[in-house]
Amino acid sequence: MLIKLSISSLYARALTVSMTVVAISLSLMLYMSVEKLRTSAYTSFTDTISQTDLIIGARASSVQLLLYSVFRIGNATNNITWESYQDLENKEEVDWTVPISLGDSHKGFRVMGTNKEFFSRYKYRGGQSINIQKGNLFEDLYDVVLGAGVAEKLDYSIDTPLIVSHGLRSFSDHDDQPFRVSGILEKTGTPVDNTVIVSLAAIEAIHVDWSTGAKIPGQQTPIEEIRKMDLTPKNITAVLVGVKSKLSIFNLQRWVNEYPEEAMTAILPGAALQELWRVVGVVENLLLGISIVVIFTTLVGMAAIMFSNLNERRREMAIWRAMGASPSIVMGLLMLEAIFIALLSILLSVILLFGTLNILQPWIDYNYGILVNVEFFTLRDIYVFIMFIISSIIVSLLPAVRAYWFSINDGMSIKV
Amino acid sequence: MKKNIYYSLLISAMVSVSVAEETRQVDKHEHGVGELNIAIEGNAIDFEFFIPGADIVGFEYEAKTQSDIALVNAALEKFGNFDNIFSLPESSNCNLVNSEIGVNQDDDHDDHDDHDDHDDHDDHDDHDEHDDHDDHDEHDDHDDHDDHDEEAHNEFVAHYSFNCENIKEIDRISFPYFTNFPNSGELEVQFVSEKGSTGFEVEGDEPFIDLKGKI
Repeated sequence: MLIKLSISSLYARALTVSMTVVAISLSLMLYMSVEKLRTSAYTSFTDTISQTDLIIGARASSVQLLLYSVFRIGNATNNITWESYQDLENKEEVDWTVPISLGDSHKGFRVMGTNKEFFSRYKYRGGQSINIQKGNLFEDLYDVVLGAGVAEKLDYSIDTPLIVSHGLRSFSDHDDQPFRVSGILEKTGTPVDNTVIVSLAAIEAIHVDWSTGAKIPGQQTPIEEIRKMDLTPKNITAVLVGVKSKLSIFNLQRWVNEYPEEAMTAILPGAALQELWRVVGVVENLLLGISIVVIFTTLVGMAAIMFSNLNERRREMAIWRAMGASPSIVMGLLMLEAIFIALLSILLSVILLFGTLNILQPWIDYNYGILVNVEFFTLRDIYVFIMFIISSIIVSLLPAVRAYWFSINDGMSIKV
Repeated sequence: MKKNIYYSLLISAMVSVSVAEETRQVDKHEHGVGELNIAIEGNAIDFEFFIPGADIVGFEYEAKTQSDIALVNAALEKFGNFDNIFSLPESSNCNLVNSEIGVNQDDDHDDHDDHDDHDDHDDHDDHDEHDDHDDHDEHDDHDDHDDHDEEAHNEFVAHYSFNCENIKEIDRISFPYFTNFPNSGELEVQFVSEKGSTGFEVEGDEPFIDLKGKI
């Protein structure tokens, strides 16, 4: 009876009520999308690399090393020499190593030099391997393998010729040594998708006539001659390392960090990621804080609307009282109303959220490489909903008490 | 015996040559931040602590007075029983297989590599004797030379290896370390198991790490 009355009362004021519901549901949606993006970004990041025990590069902060070697964000401060790499490779703790060389680009995509072992050793999302979707891994010196994202965005297929540019945003191209697409990888949802992969020898080959960052004018070694050269790299950017026993990781890490011939840093990818997340966490908390404030504001807004409605609804209250409703029933009606508004807002916000996420997901994935998790509620969401309903009841107490008071005092004696 | 002396002379000569050729680099050393590495494989779990002397005994110069030496020894004794430092869930049934405790004195980089030997326990007693050595004063001079007079650092090093019957039962490791050493700052933890690596920052207000799903 009470519920029915409350619903019909809300229905009678459909316009104001629906405006309130829209406002509240938008702020709830904001909160939930921040939360979803936050958790999705975290899983995307942690899923990017697995089963690599150590990443080794020139001396740098662990976060920086992780960002450039795995996420291709930022740049290396220095490279490490091939000699140091060989010393590392010969350590007895080491099971496997994959050298990588960064620094060049193709149409805004990073070019990474590595060896074929990269494709079998690099694992993501709890141990999944990279698979080739079309073609083959590089066979020839001038073969490249494209990440799925590169092939898609540039509309390249097998045998498409391409030119690698020197540096990341430069106008000097390695146009004397064109490459050819030999293979395209399957989509992984990791930065590999946006990487152009060549052999280490190819990186060495395209820099044969280059010194001090620019091409030596008038000098062009014919490709035939380059093919005959010894193309062992002189330096590399970073090394992915697997160890034989987890118990020896820290020994090896110490060995690298204290390696006297060259200043290097060894990081555990997971530990560096946690460190990065502690930094990102500040921004995250800020976003969360903002969305909580937004929810709070809407709650206060809801109370304000209920207050201003009270004046308009004095007649309605009076009729209820005349029909025999006690002041506490009037109060209960208002609180019930708040609960209905809260429930409606939650429903609408969920519909809005999953609607927009489903539409935006491919776009976010495409542009930022973050696979937003569109699964339904987590326990946390439900907890937030319950908290929201409770706080809307609390907020509605104020106008409800006022209504209770009024309905006793002046509800019956209508002053026109 | 004589032979030994020759050997040690030879070694020290080699060391000084290598020092001369070495690129100059110094380990980071931050008071208030201890390092802890935890590695798990099969049934084995290893702990390695590297903690600045300031966090343990409140000073970092070499202990020379009676009271300072007593402080260092008391601290080492505390480290001798791992229960003072950390605790593992009882259900994991972990047994201590091996432990090595010692102090790395000074910023002398090369020493660091020796520190496996160092941990022989006896070594550590030598360490105190060390102080009377004339040689050592020279060493201090050397510090003066670099204007590093006040920068002598020491570091407590402790390794503990366990074998556990139910290693998967380790869902949390807590650190009485923080209450037993009032000067202690935070611990930077690197953790690795077959499930991958992760990191923690542990402080006295929440003196534990949560390892659910990480082993």
